[in-house]
Amino acid sequence: MANRTGTAQRPNGQTQGKICQFKLVLLGESAVGKSSLVLRFVKGQFHEYQESTIGAAFLTQTICLDDTTVKFEIWDTAGQERYHSLAPMYYRGAQAAIVVYDITNQDTFGRAKTWVKELQRQASPTIVIALAGNKQDLANKRMVEYEEAQTYADENGLLFMETSAKTAMNVNDIFLAIAKKLPKNEQNTGQAGNAQGRRLTEGDTGPRAAGNCCK
Amino acid sequence: MTLPLSGRIFIANDNICLIFKRSYKYIMYATKQPSLRINQADLQCKEGCGFYGNADWDGYCSKCYRNHMEQARRKKLKQAANAQSGHQGESSKSQVSGFTKFEEKKRQQTDKKTKYFKSLPVFKKTSSAKDIGKPEKYAGLRQSNDPDADKLKTEFLSKYKYLGDEIRRDFLRFSDSFIRQILEDTNVKPVDELAEIAQKRYNVYNTRINSYHLYQQVSAEVRAELEDFLEKYTMTALYTSLFCPSSTNDEDKDLSIQDRIRKLTWVNAHHLDCCISETSLEVRDLVYTAINDLLGMDSVKAPQEKLQCVVKCCRSVVEVLQHCQGGPVSADEFLPALIFVVLKANPARLKSNILYVTRFCKESRLMQGEAGYYFTNLCCAVSFIENLTAESLNMPEQEFQSYMSGEMTTVSAWDSALVACEGMHQLCEHLSLLNNLNERNISIQEEKNKLMEEMNALKEDIKRKVSSVLESTPLVIKPRKSISVTDEKPSGGSLLSNIAIATHNSENIDKTKLTLDLTPCIKFPCIIEDNIEEDNVLKPSLSADLLSPFEQSFEGTTPDDNSILGLSKVNYDIDLSDLSAENSMAEALTPEKRFSPTPSYTPDPFSPVGTTCTITQQPLIPSSVPLQMTVQKEPQQIKDDFVAPFLEDLTRETAEETLLDKIEATPTINLPPPINPIKTEYSGFSKQGWKIPSIPCNTGDYSSLSSQPGTSKQDE
Repeated sequence: MANRTGTAQRPNGQTQGKICQFKLVLLGESAVGKSSLVLRFVKGQFHEYQESTIGAAFLTQTICLDDTTVKFEIWDTAGQERYHSLAPMYYRGAQAAIVVYDITNQDTFGRAKTWVKELQRQASPTIVIALAGNKQDLANKRMVEYEEAQTYADENGLLFMETSAKTAMNVNDIFLAIAKKLPKNEQNTGQAGNAQGRRLTEGDTGPRAAGNCCK
Repeated sequence: MTLPLSGRIFIANDNICLIFKRSYKYIMYATKQPSLRINQADLQCKEGCGFYGNADWDGYCSKCYRNHMEQARRKKLKQAANAQSGHQGESSKSQVSGFTKFEEKKRQQTDKKTKYFKSLPVFKKTSSAKDIGKPEKYAGLRQSNDPDADKLKTEFLSKYKYLGDEIRRDFLRFSDSFIRQILEDTNVKPVDELAEIAQKRYNVYNTRINSYHLYQQVSAEVRAELEDFLEKYTMTALYTSLFCPSSTNDEDKDLSIQDRIRKLTWVNAHHLDCCISETSLEVRDLVYTAINDLLGMDSVKAPQEKLQCVVKCCRSVVEVLQHCQGGPVSADEFLPALIFVVLKANPARLKSNILYVTRFCKESRLMQGEAGYYFTNLCCAVSFIENLTAESLNMPEQEFQSYMSGEMTTVSAWDSALVACEGMHQLCEHLSLLNNLNERNISIQEEKNKLMEEMNALKEDIKRKVSSVLESTPLVIKPRKSISVTDEKPSGGSLLSNIAIATHNSENIDKTKLTLDLTPCIKFPCIIEDNIEEDNVLKPSLSADLLSPFEQSFEGTTPDDNSILGLSKVNYDIDLSDLSAENSMAEALTPEKRFSPTPSYTPDPFSPVGTTCTITQQPLIPSSVPLQMTVQKEPQQIKDDFVAPFLEDLTRETAEETLLDKIEATPTINLPPPINPIKTEYSGFSKQGWKIPSIPCNTGDYSSLSSQPGTSKQDE
């Protein structure tokens, strides 16, 4: 919703292209491999970002997409059931979310579905939601069929990939797909889920450049 | 006046308790059971406007909440007006209505005050940009600023000097108008509206800084800095009026969360499925750091400073977790750990701080970035604590209730771990100390061995050198030539005996001399005898007290005395007349006349022989005192003789007594000073003296006898 753009924001804005910063929330049952997925994405292939050394809970990663630099700010959430009710605080103001489940565990897929529903209801209407079936390397122990997940994703308009943090399969692809899908120019005042977001966008009107570059 | 007031306070206190109980009940029973499905209706505004609601706004969306509050306020104002116009009786009813109304009244009163305050000329002035530059305006402003803000202002002026006056002036103009606007609206508008004003101002400055020609040359970084500084400066200046404002119930919330946390002290890391090992020393230290960072939040003023405290705290928590589990820290582990830290820290005014930051921190900061993430986590932790149920700790409801009511108490692992940790800590310290000491000891040992080796080497070296020197220059021991010298050397004890022998010899020689030469020194053996006698008398008198019985026994042993007394008188006359005759007679004397040694007394002082005799005696008596005695005694005896020459019996007794008395008296008078030194020598002398006289005594006796008969014969 409130994607910060503009060269004034960060010192790393030397590149001539546009810089878009997105907040991405990781949701999913605990032990489905959320953090390992992110760690693979952040520390695996792309150049390492300095801020990412603190922990796996909060990480940032910058990727280049055509002439746009997309900076992902990845917010990990606690997957335990008992912290479920706190999730809205995390995904408030998030432009993207990855809902992760474990393909070897049917329950986690069920939980993923509830997350998706909740996001669709409560989060920003423009939020980009991706569904990631993790632990693809353990496909022989698969409990959730690919087709089942694919049809669910199609029905709900989600991005879907089966990933493996271990083998790095589809890890970068899913982030790249999200980056492509994210709106990078559109002034997103829309229906304000919360007042803060609205305020922010009001102030952000000035330096925003027009043009749809990432399609 | 005071009495009713105090009564009212009591009521108020009761009501505080009631309110707390109520708030707990609210927390306990009205908590949302975490459910997977949340109805759309639950989340949307109560007013049904289609926007999402917020729990902090009583379920309204921000706009509806504002309207709702506005209505409520009007109602209250009306009620207050009615109450004021009403009778005293009505006011008593309001007293009963409790603490909440009391609080509301307090708030209303502050409202009135501010209204009155607003009417003051300084604050009535509209903050038009033109007027701001005037000094009087600044003067009015400074009153509202606190010292920290002034400090920041001077810091700003010095730090951004390079930007030029215009930019600085523009910044200060903007920030001062910002502060003024907020101050004007404080206590008039609800705090949320103020927050919105502040957010708007931030954004206005953002656009201004990015579009205004004045800032064109300013780099992007400095622009961001200026924006941050605006927030910091204005919020520091407005801190007192915006932090935990009296128009809100933030304070109540603080108290309730504090009490809530206090009731949850029994919750440990295990309950939270948190991997913090409470017994580890390093972990404990890190948790302490995290707690300190979190507590530091209350002591700083600007929202971003508070956020920095949260970030610091959370980084410490991450460090704790990295220490505990080793791997990368995901949110699954992080959030429980943070909850644990918040529970253990129980920070003061936690809720006020969180609300202040959410209201007045620039929203972008909260929505994005590391600070935003960690602050969100903190909010989540607080929310979790507020809504903590048995289910969220995975424990039976009954157990949870008994924990909460205090029926069941756990030996807090944290507390016991603290004690254990303290012990462990000390143990570790001591161990390290011991290791250190051990190392030092070892090094000392090594040094010692080295030193020993060196010393041995040195010893060997010296030995070798000495032997080589000895070999090169052999020592020839020549026979000693000084044997005669050693023979001549007198040994202390033998000296006297030798001398005694010598004297004996000399006496013998003298005797032979006497016999041969018939020199006037014929008297000398008598003197010797007398001396010996006197010595006998003196010896006990000096060594022990001069006791009469001893003397009597002495008398018995030496019966000469009587004869002495008797004869001395006779001798006296004769002595003076002819000495030579006596001497001549002495050779022919028989031993019968031994009992007349008296004539020896008289010639002594006059005869030159006496002196020679004393000279010969001298080696026997090391000190001159006994010699003096002999000299002194003689005249005394002479006196005695004079006193009782005719009554022999009487004189004997009296003379004995007098003599003894005199003897007694003389040593006491004359001897006392040398008594002690003599004693030792005396004993030595006495040994010798006893031995020596035995020989010369006889000779002396003989001589005396030989002389005596002569005298007696002469007398006769």
